[in-house]
Amino acid sequence: MSDLMKTSRRDFLKISAFAGGGLMIGFNLVSCSKEEEWPEFEQGINAYILINGDGSATIMSKNPEVGQGAKTALPMILAEELDIAWEKVTVKQAALNDQMSPQFTGGSTGVPLNYDAMRKAGAAARFVLVAAAAKLWKVDTKDCRTENGFIINGENKVHYGQVALEAAKIELPEEIELKNPKDFKIVGNSQKDVDLQNIVTGKPLFGLDQEIDEMVYATVVKPEVFGSKVISFNADKAKEVVGVIDILKIEGHTNPTILLDGVAIVAENVWAAFKAKKLVEVEWKKPANHIVSNEDLNTRFDKALAKKGKVIREDGNVVAELAKGDVLEATYRVPFISHAQLEPMNFIADVKEDSARLIGPTQTPGSGRRQASQITGIPPEKISVEFSRIGGGFGRRLLNDYSNEAVYISNKLKRPIKLVWDRENDFQSDYFRPAGAYNFKARVDNKALTAFDVKISTTSRYAFAQRNGEPHGTEAFPDQQPASMVPNYRIAYEPLATNVPVGALRTPGANATTFVYQCFLDELAEKSGMDVIDFHLKVIGEEDREIEYRDHPGPSYNTGRLKAVISKVRSMSKWDKPAANGRFRGFAGQYVFGAYVAIVVELSMTNDKVKIHRVWAAADCGRVINPICADAQVQGGITDGISAALYEGIEFQEGKLVQRNFDKYGKLRIKDSPDVKVKFIKNEEIPTGLGEPSYPVIFPALCNAIYAATGTRIRELPIRNSVKV
Amino acid sequence: MANYKLKINNEIREVDVEPDTPLLWVLRDELNLKGTKFGCGISECGACTVHLDGQPVRSCSTSVSTIQDSEVRTIEGLSENGDHPVQEAWVEEDVPQCGYCQAGQIMSATALLVSNPNPKNKDINEAMSGNICRCGSYPRIKKAIKVAAEKGGRYE
Ligand code: FES
Ligand code: FES
Repeated sequence: MSDLMKTSRRDFLKISAFAGGGLMIGFNLVSCSKEEEWPEFEQGINAYILINGDGSATIMSKNPEVGQGAKTALPMILAEELDIAWEKVTVKQAALNDQMSPQFTGGSTGVPLNYDAMRKAGAAARFVLVAAAAKLWKVDTKDCRTENGFIINGENKVHYGQVALEAAKIELPEEIELKNPKDFKIVGNSQKDVDLQNIVTGKPLFGLDQEIDEMVYATVVKPEVFGSKVISFNADKAKEVVGVIDILKIEGHTNPTILLDGVAIVAENVWAAFKAKKLVEVEWKKPANHIVSNEDLNTRFDKALAKKGKVIREDGNVVAELAKGDVLEATYRVPFISHAQLEPMNFIADVKEDSARLIGPTQTPGSGRRQASQITGIPPEKISVEFSRIGGGFGRRLLNDYSNEAVYISNKLKRPIKLVWDRENDFQSDYFRPAGAYNFKARVDNKALTAFDVKISTTSRYAFAQRNGEPHGTEAFPDQQPASMVPNYRIAYEPLATNVPVGALRTPGANATTFVYQCFLDELAEKSGMDVIDFHLKVIGEEDREIEYRDHPGPSYNTGRLKAVISKVRSMSKWDKPAANGRFRGFAGQYVFGAYVAIVVELSMTNDKVKIHRVWAAADCGRVINPICADAQVQGGITDGISAALYEGIEFQEGKLVQRNFDKYGKLRIKDSPDVKVKFIKNEEIPTGLGEPSYPVIFPALCNAIYAATGTRIRELPIRNSVKV
Repeated sequence: MANYKLKINNEIREVDVEPDTPLLWVLRDELNLKGTKFGCGISECGACTVHLDGQPVRSCSTSVSTIQDSEVRTIEGLSENGDHPVQEAWVEEDVPQCGYCQAGQIMSATALLVSNPNPKNKDINEAMSGNICRCGSYPRIKKAIKVAAEKGGRYE
């Protein structure tokens, strides 16, 4: 039994013969469900396979690789249906190519958006290859089978390369037969990162490693107070630095996500640019009413929370239920946090009179090209974009401000520029995870959660980006658990505009709401007198249900799958046995970005200091494409979340950013990094992405464990402000 | 500008640069050895780690003028074919996520294994805590170092 997939009328297939006996097969398979959410990219999907004369295959990887494993996983899916041995596959990074649109990394969408299309592309190539062999042998295709890149019919056997030229002439039928997933040999089996050998030997894979002829270097001076504008600058001293070529003002765009104000230093080498940067004297105009201090920010949030806000969901009668009394109330806060990806922002731009070439690390090459076109007036079809492996994205490289900056400078000078930010630039020009404040009121009656009322205020990133749509989008989620599980439920939102740039960071919005909701549920569990996990399960409800979920990715989630990960982590962590002496545990579990994740943290307080010993995580992301990578993604998300929860949060002093490098902006080090044990629920559900979902769930699990250990509720991050870490 | 003759990966390389230029930028932009990475510029992240006479140093904070006769080894010079035991262990454990920190991690780990062929967890934590992995590959780094130790993580 196989799945059948229709090739729709809009699909289009190009097959062409290559010199040297190769077959290139390209598809344009339209399949994009979420384009309204991601206006940056065009519709359609395309994949390329090159069958080489020796029977090997080259598969183009369409999406940017940020470390989430797409460059390995997507070609795996394609190779599976092509039915070729993985060892015979070479993966190459595609450049920006309209035939492959959308080429995009974000929202944990790489696998779910491309799974079907990659299968179809592989299956179609296999079809024409089999048909060509059948023709050669004058047999029926039904009597041919494939195995590891060979076509076999009784005694007859050829490898794909031997029939590739003939295959190029075969027409595709209406329907393409897909493999039965039970027969998968590549998908579901661990394949190591395709760039692994190049990474461990230091090959030039990253944006910062790229070069083009005649290129010079640029860096920038950025303001200490976010949103400041350049009034004037004095570059006399800076120009004396050997190697400096030019110093110029960068005029920011009216939309601050496109380009920010600064002063650019262009030099013969990076070091000269960095040195000169320190000598440029800039007069800045600070934005009116900017955030002065963290206390100032808190006060503004308090005022915002005192407003009514916009009710974005209301079930039953919260007010009446809360009026019955014995209400638990708590206010939580999350800070702005930085992406702090390890590879600083960089980009190469070579803008000529009527064409441009861009090279660099970007999660959104398509919108990079569009914005480059706006800046230069050069039509998009005359702009090429090549993208490198990315030294960490986490959402920072969804924006194109830095590639735009390289384009801006190159356009002014009409020479090829490699823009290199130093770490200070990176912090001073980050688009942070929005800060927010969350006020909860709830009532537990006879162990049942009867009312849940939350008011949220954040520095909305949609509002900051001047996007159409509600400011609460990706800030407050009307259907977030325990919505649909409590008879009286209300959620209201009030935006707060500030001068601090905000953007998407690993599970945008959910990284804050999951923390606050799951911590508050822990408070309610305590109030109920029940075991924490028992309380969660009771709130979720005994019956398995499909619950509507209008946020990313939706459209619904299943409480049975949620309960399954919770039960799994319960047994993995031996939750029902008391923790070892001096050890304390915390739990959290939720549906996030398409996956279900439940986590238990075990820690102790050693000399009043938090020491995290172990973390257990159970995840359900549907069919696991590449187990070794899936495991790493969940571990990585958890480790990243521990770092953010313990240490991260930016601070202001007289309006100026305090942390501008890793000396002040602490990141988790290996010595404080715990063992993380991950297990996946095995099922055949549609695969979802995994680059993000574990990240938000660790925050509450950790804070709940700290409460168990210390009796201190962490209602404000980072934890270091409340407890020694 | 000044002229320097540097011993890098068993070769003599000549450069004309300003004396205060960090070794990092000499390697990357003058000698086209891009394996050594820039992360912070202030000795906080370890991405730029190279060996100077076998000792791990932060090349971002080591001026070229201070190197003199010392032998510099970078990730490109760690082995002929990428088969240093530490590199092999990193491949076996599929350590990298984005991969950006990994050259620095590998250089720190190789130096550790020379001075301490059988490091305990405590030794690993001590030697490796100057290297940030923003992606959180720490659990696999720990494992890979142990694997490399079993293979005998010698330097040469
Ligand atoms: S770049 Fe040298 S330690 Fe970070
Ligand atoms: S693998 Fe990305 S920083 Fe370590």
